[in-house]
Amino acid sequence: MMADITVDAKFKSCPGPLIALADTVSRAQPGQVVKLLATDPAAPSDVKEWALSVGHTLLATEKSGDVYEIYVGVSG
Amino acid sequence: MSKIALIVASEKMDKLFPAVTLATTAAISGWDAEMFFTFWGLLALKKGYEPSGVSFDYKAYEGKLTDALANGSIPDWKTVLEQGRATGRIRIYACSTTLGMFGLKQEDLDSFVDGIAGAATFLSKAKDANVSLFIS
Repeated sequence: MMADITVDAKFKSCPGPLIALADTVSRAQPGQVVKLLATDPAAPSDVKEWALSVGHTLLATEKSGDVYEIYVGVSG
Repeated sequence: MSKIALIVASEKMDKLFPAVTLATTAAISGWDAEMFFTFWGLLALKKGYEPSGVSFDYKAYEGKLTDALANGSIPDWKTVLEQGRATGRIRIYACSTTLGMFGLKQEDLDSFVDGIAGAATFLSKAKDANVSLFIS
């Protein structure tokens, strides 16, 4: 999956990845795709719940080695 | 709108970190967060205050936390709090009784403190919270 913006939060523990993602998404344009790179095992579930709360879309979660690639679609 | 209410009664790092992590995560998820700092927790609101370490029982593990802070895997508690406060959804109150006990005034507290409150004021802000925690 292609992303417009990548947030690298590898080796950051909770709540670092989510804070970094939320900050980037707040400055992104509607329709853009933001990719979060994270090694925190809680990140996939945390991003899913956060996206549900704030109305963005969790598009996909992939895993490459120890790194999660979590794709979020920015809503308007 | 969901809300979390946190009473923070300790200024030890192992108490401050979970408290601000929950408040900030709530805030960036669109929740309101009300934080009431009382007793030893109030010390964390003093201007220029740095946490004095972890709780006594867990001193043996303090190095784990300081290492994680040093290598950046865990962010500093005040940075996390500031990131949450940037949403405008976190409010921080200093307990009036403890403030008097320490002989402190509002001007002795950091600028991120929204006000001084008593138990009744905090209860009125927390009564409709979905999650309520006392962290000590």
